[in-house]
Amino acid sequence: MSYHDDDLDRALAALPLEEPPAGLHARIMAATVHRPAPLVRSWEVWLVGTLVAVAAWLVWTFLTTPHAVERVLATLSSATDAVGAGSEWTMLWLAVGISAAWWLSQLSVPRTARRDIRVR
Amino acid sequence: MEPPLAAPVVDDQALIAATLAGRGEAFGELVTRYERAVYHLAVRTLHDRTEAEDATQEAFLKAYRALASFRPGAKFSTWIFTICYRGCCDRLARRKRFSGDELPDRADPAAGPELLAERSDEAARLRAAIDALPEKYRAVITLYHLQGKQYEEIATVLNLPLGTVKTHLFRAKEQLRKVLSV
Repeated sequence: MSYHDDDLDRALAALPLEEPPAGLHARIMAATVHRPAPLVRSWEVWLVGTLVAVAAWLVWTFLTTPHAVERVLATLSSATDAVGAGSEWTMLWLAVGISAAWWLSQLSVPRTARRDIRVR
Repeated sequence: MEPPLAAPVVDDQALIAATLAGRGEAFGELVTRYERAVYHLAVRTLHDRTEAEDATQEAFLKAYRALASFRPGAKFSTWIFTICYRGCCDRLARRKRFSGDELPDRADPAAGPELLAERSDEAARLRAAIDALPEKYRAVITLYHLQGKQYEEIATVLNLPLGTVKTHLFRAKEQLRKVLSV
């Protein structure tokens, strides 16, 4: 029997696909959609581990450094002075800024007025 | 209330969007549509049903995890076939590493001319003839069977130039014709 291109194409088109095993669909669904979400993700484990390590290192350094409390307080105080947070004028301007921001956040533009602006 | 997915024929893009929106049954529909074809590709590539089953599951798992990165407008069938074929190639490479066999161009030793002569059924003969092809031709002819005459899609799945796909297909058909004409 001689096979031509069309015969081969027809035979290929008629060739049945392999029948997958009965449980394959269920296995795929169990591994994908129905898979329970992990309690903790790997990046969360890494993050918590890093934070714990940093915290442990800080505590160890704090406990082994002589006069640690005084040195920390002195560093904090000099940092506050460096940014000017200790001056009355800085505190005053900060208070004014926070008050203005709070006051502006409480303002509400009436609905009709907003619509008028858009029409215009 | 969300409309049922089973109603009219929903296209793959809509099913992907529904899956990404958290509707698991949409992915189930995609699995139902392509499970058989993907398994067929894996069986024809690996020649091992147990391993093909694992490769099929792995392909769908990878697709599910990477569904958000699926390029809109692309064909899901091409994408899942590509994932499956690459997975199968990795498995073949692992097998080769452990056994030292020249697997990529290996023909199925069980599908010799004696066995072909014994098989009178046309489909069985054709299947045996495909199994007897070298791997590179077998992959092309399997995808030609699965995806029709879409050469570009076959080239995408196999990561081969279009011209190479056409050459492989021509030679594969020539070998098949020769074997089946006996």
